[in-house]
Amino acid sequence: MSPHTVDATAEGLVLRYGDHVAVAASSFVIPARSVTAVIGPNGSGKSSVLHALAGLLDPSEGRLQVLGESPRRARTRVSYVLQSVTVPAGTPLTVDEAVGMGRYPRLGLWRRRSTEDRQRVRASMDRLDITDLAHRHLTELSGGQRQRVYVAQGIAQDHEMLLLDEPLTGLDLVSARTIDRLIHSERRYGCSVVLTTHDLGEARAADHVLLMNRRVLACGPPEEVLTEANLEVAYGLGALHGIAGAIHGVEGSFVDDPAHRSQTRPPG
Amino acid sequence: MEWLIEPFALGFQQRALLGGIIAGVMASVVGTWLVLRGMSFFGDAFVHGVVPGIAAAVLLDFSPFLGAALAAGVMVLGIVLIHRQTALKEDTAIGLLFIGMLGLGVVIVSRSTSYTGSLTAILFGDALGVTREALLEQAVMAAIVVPAGILLYRPLLALSFDRTKAQALGMRPGLTHAVLLVLIAAAVIGSYQAVGTLLAFGLLVGPPATAALLARTVPAMMVIAVVIAVVSVVIGLVVSYHLGTAGSATMAMLPIVLFFLTLTASRLLAWRRHPSVRAGVGESAG
Repeated sequence: MSPHTVDATAEGLVLRYGDHVAVAASSFVIPARSVTAVIGPNGSGKSSVLHALAGLLDPSEGRLQVLGESPRRARTRVSYVLQSVTVPAGTPLTVDEAVGMGRYPRLGLWRRRSTEDRQRVRASMDRLDITDLAHRHLTELSGGQRQRVYVAQGIAQDHEMLLLDEPLTGLDLVSARTIDRLIHSERRYGCSVVLTTHDLGEARAADHVLLMNRRVLACGPPEEVLTEANLEVAYGLGALHGIAGAIHGVEGSFVDDPAHRSQTRPPG
Repeated sequence: MEWLIEPFALGFQQRALLGGIIAGVMASVVGTWLVLRGMSFFGDAFVHGVVPGIAAAVLLDFSPFLGAALAAGVMVLGIVLIHRQTALKEDTAIGLLFIGMLGLGVVIVSRSTSYTGSLTAILFGDALGVTREALLEQAVMAAIVVPAGILLYRPLLALSFDRTKAQALGMRPGLTHAVLLVLIAAAVIGSYQAVGTLLAFGLLVGPPATAALLARTVPAMMVIAVVIAVVSVVIGLVVSYHLGTAGSATMAMLPIVLFFLTLTASRLLAWRRHPSVRAGVGESAG
């Protein structure tokens, strides 16, 4: 792929937390203006890859380029929605203010929110269908509504790449559908999306897939990566009994509506 | 109105009022972030941790502000050292330093000829003994602490929201946390003469915790906390004058009383508005 069609490139990338190797030497690309799904068992290094792309975890070895520069330098152009944010129960934080935090990288410490910033916050809330919740406390929301707030916060930030760590895990139907639509609409804004998932259906609906187990085992279009042979390597032979249907499309492949999608999920 | 004016007629009474108000404002602004960050145990340990520094200053006749600052520095370094060099969690490190520093403080004070008086003054303050010099030092401290607590609103809010998210937003959570520790230290040091180190904790946590029950935004929480602190200082000194109770303790106790009154009132209101609360079924976001 030419540099213009690639938003991130990793060559021999190794990620460590102290002595623990989270991701062994891996090479992959993240295509521009596409949805990339990162799939693998628990502890396979999916979140570590997202942390590295976000510039929060430096490569121990190898090379990682994001949007043509080092991840740390690219940090202001990458928006990262974390897997689990637990805001303490007593925190007096409204939805409007939480989404508005997405503007902090542009505003810095003291610059006042401009009309453009307010419009961007409003538009982000509109896209996640939470505008009517603007003045509610985060603690007054359901888990699905809160996740929509966090995704709205992510898209309120100026970004060319959006990273989402398990954005659809454990959500109610309406929230999952809303976020799923947003993920697939980001391409229209010229952005690439990288999301981690445990759901084969979700991975098959992506444009590009990274299959992981402590390293990137395969990288490419879903039909080339999510093969029985590759999944056996990633999840182990025994685990495949439960996901065989999803591999062969027996239970129906991913459709845009999560309500009708196979909920088959590999263990681990 | 004489009952309200009389307690502040004399110079030392006015200095007690001013010292208490400065301490209250400073502690409320910093305390808001302390409560939001869930660092109350750290705050509690910290107010004990500065005791040896102040005790050494009293004994060796140098500035108690300098002594407290040195002790605060030792405390923070000790906590960081234990946390980084061992697998122990931060609360264990805080607990170790908490008792160690308090013990050292009492040992140092025990070398003083007026052991009980010095220890009482350090721990519980001497509101009516606040000097002009102490007021000036306190005002300088407040002039740094209060604007910093307000101007660092975004990084502190992002840090309270989530440390990793704060980093992703470029809000430098490590540096922000370090600055917050310095602000807490400064607020305790700046408040100790008016209300004592132990009771400074009451002003750090009491008004913000009460405000958290009432406010819908962090700026509102901060403003309400400041109002509660100032009201507590004024009423505390008035009550102390008329009932002959200890001024510092009365000032520090009032925010806690207000917390329970507010909690009771808010629960009663919720009980009247929402029948589910009456049935013992709390509201929960599903």
